[in-house]
Amino acid sequence: MIYMDNAATTRPYGEVMETFMNVNEAYYFNTASIHQSGRKAAQLLEASRKQIAELLGVPDYHCIFTSGATESNNLAIQSVLRRKQPYGGTVLVSELEHPSVLNVLEAMKEDDFRVNYIKTFADGTVDTDHLKEMLNDDVIFITVMAVNNITGSIQPIAEITEILKQYPKVHFHTDATQAIGKINMDYAGVDSLSLSSHKFHGMKGTGALIAKEPRTLSPIIHGGGHENNLRSGTVNLPGAVAMARALRMATEQQDVSIERVSDYNHKVRSALGNLRSVHIQPSGVPHILNVSFRGAKGEVVVNALGNRGIMVSTTSACASKLKKLNETLLAMGNARAIIEGSIRISFSSLTQEEEVDEMITALLAVHKEIGEVLK
Amino acid sequence: MMYDHILVRYGEITLKTKNRKMFIRALRENMKRALSDFNVQIHTQWDRAYVTLQDEDHGAVMSALENINGILSISPIAKIERTEAAMKDTAVDFANTFGTKDTFKIEVRRADKTYALNTFDIQQMLGGYVLENVPHLGVDVKRPDHQIMVEVRAEAIYMYHEVVQCIGGLPIGTGGKALLMISGGIDSPVAGLEVMKKGVELEAVHFHSPPYTSPQATEKVKQLVDILSRRTGTDITLHIVPFTELQTKVHDWIPDNMSMTTTRRLMLIIAERLAEKINAKAIVNGENLGQVASQTLTSMHAINAVTNFPVLRPLLTLEKNEIVEMARNYGTYDTSVLPYEDCCTIFKPKAPKTRPEVRKVEKFESKVDFEPMIEKALSNIECYSALEAEKNDAFGSLL
Repeated sequence: MIYMDNAATTRPYGEVMETFMNVNEAYYFNTASIHQSGRKAAQLLEASRKQIAELLGVPDYHCIFTSGATESNNLAIQSVLRRKQPYGGTVLVSELEHPSVLNVLEAMKEDDFRVNYIKTFADGTVDTDHLKEMLNDDVIFITVMAVNNITGSIQPIAEITEILKQYPKVHFHTDATQAIGKINMDYAGVDSLSLSSHKFHGMKGTGALIAKEPRTLSPIIHGGGHENNLRSGTVNLPGAVAMARALRMATEQQDVSIERVSDYNHKVRSALGNLRSVHIQPSGVPHILNVSFRGAKGEVVVNALGNRGIMVSTTSACASKLKKLNETLLAMGNARAIIEGSIRISFSSLTQEEEVDEMITALLAVHKEIGEVLK
Repeated sequence: MMYDHILVRYGEITLKTKNRKMFIRALRENMKRALSDFNVQIHTQWDRAYVTLQDEDHGAVMSALENINGILSISPIAKIERTEAAMKDTAVDFANTFGTKDTFKIEVRRADKTYALNTFDIQQMLGGYVLENVPHLGVDVKRPDHQIMVEVRAEAIYMYHEVVQCIGGLPIGTGGKALLMISGGIDSPVAGLEVMKKGVELEAVHFHSPPYTSPQATEKVKQLVDILSRRTGTDITLHIVPFTELQTKVHDWIPDNMSMTTTRRLMLIIAERLAEKINAKAIVNGENLGQVASQTLTSMHAINAVTNFPVLRPLLTLEKNEIVEMARNYGTYDTSVLPYEDCCTIFKPKAPKTRPEVRKVEKFESKVDFEPMIEKALSNIECYSALEAEKNDAFGSLL
């Protein structure tokens, strides 16, 4: 099996699984217990929290452990919007966001919030001029993801924080799920960011919301008051420590990994770029490649590759079972045939060159096989 | 004797009214951190706090509390049965620790008004009993050397006499952040601790010039920062700045008698930029007026001219022996006097100017472009923190 769907999830690092096991064995205590062992566990949790904030370059921010980025996005959006409702009711959001942002906002419309969408350029980045145009006194929340999960386009997060310096009322949230471990980003200045451990070789079921000022948040899960009363429920300490370690490893290997993965990206582009009816979207981070076979259905290509033992996906895993045109590609102004025929190939720091070569051979074979339907 | 809890009296927190809650909350957090290894409960009130011991050793808990900024004094409190005999025994136990011919007084608070004996009865009974059993003592109700406190409550009687003086001041974290310039000598660690007394959080900066300064010299500064961290229960980050390139440049280009002034100016420029980066609001150093050539008023003027940051000099007017005494009390002295070369002593000019003129210094400095070297030094800073190092020992293999 050759795994090329790392934007959906990644294989945990061996060391990370080791940490997960060891913490389960040696620190299985409840971090809220007041006995010695509980306090040791709490210290380990604090050390993990600190390491994560430091690795992200925002050492003064607060890290709230959650079950993943979906929960983190929910926590940030729901609680900040409710808090800020007396001061305004408009939210600006990029059209490219993940469903865990778009659908939450959709639900918030019922509470009288207005949601306006920021336009996107053809390369998949948001139009900051359009963002500026839409800024007004009623805007209380802006959310733009750091790296898009469909095309890998990198969003101008630092530029947006710069613009928003003149709008102190606005809370700027970024879903950094796809950016962590793939690209260096300056998060200083964002009000909150979401991450998910399993996207950078950690364990599933752990994530975090990193917030500049936790006082702007309020819980959406109520209970025993864990995580500074922002996220009740016994803390998943093994998962949290494993995430801290995964983040450290991913950060340490990032530079080398980017170089290698860029080579893979070029390799695929030069092998497929000139083929009839093939269209490749521009890549932001080299880890994600969106390739369209005009005339074919993405699903057909995915299945054909799957038969050859190569795992890729159409659009995002979360949405790939829905029969809807992909919103990101639509927002970028792509034609219907390109969207319908698109597949997403995503590498990780664990991807080997031979695997890429084998995938290219398979892609060429599939291209030949379905040649008749291609336009 | 069974100590039940420890009474904690506040320092300058008692001067606060409208924002007192904020200060108490900060103190509570610092106490919680310092006592994290103990199974105790902390109750903070408007004017005092209690630490309930829950079987923990009172001595160990007290020494963990002693160095927390914001605490004026602490007293261990005994919990005894509500009988005359228990009160008498405890009073004599206390009295036996008093010095020869000391005076004492019995102070009673009757929270439980139904108790059979009234305040006066208890005072007379205990005073008499103590005098009988420890005959060298005397009674003085106006200015006693010792007070034996008795508090009668419904569930038990609480007694104490011992008052351990602590640092006082304000809880760390309530007064913003400052950057301490630490050389490794006697003065700078003391200066840092003095400023922390007022609730100021600290980070430290040290300049080293390998290979002219030895690794041991840097190690020594790390140890000093460890002492400061441990003493205050905070995690002080030490920024170690590589200074060799700048220092050799100064040596090559600036006249010998002014090289010291320029060196100090460069250090202050770097400290200021670092302070801005870490969001510190002031720079702290251990300068003492007139102590050495760089610390005359004229030198301070010439050196200080490079920054608009407040430079705090808490030791400015103290006598050297006072500073030494403070260093001994703080436990930094023995480390400070370890004999390693620091970057102030290498390339030391034979006769540094004690009255450098800003104009002349600037003229010489204008011939050299220090800027790229300053930026390079800043971008090659190495960070160290005691708790970090401890954590790496404990959890390193997991994280």
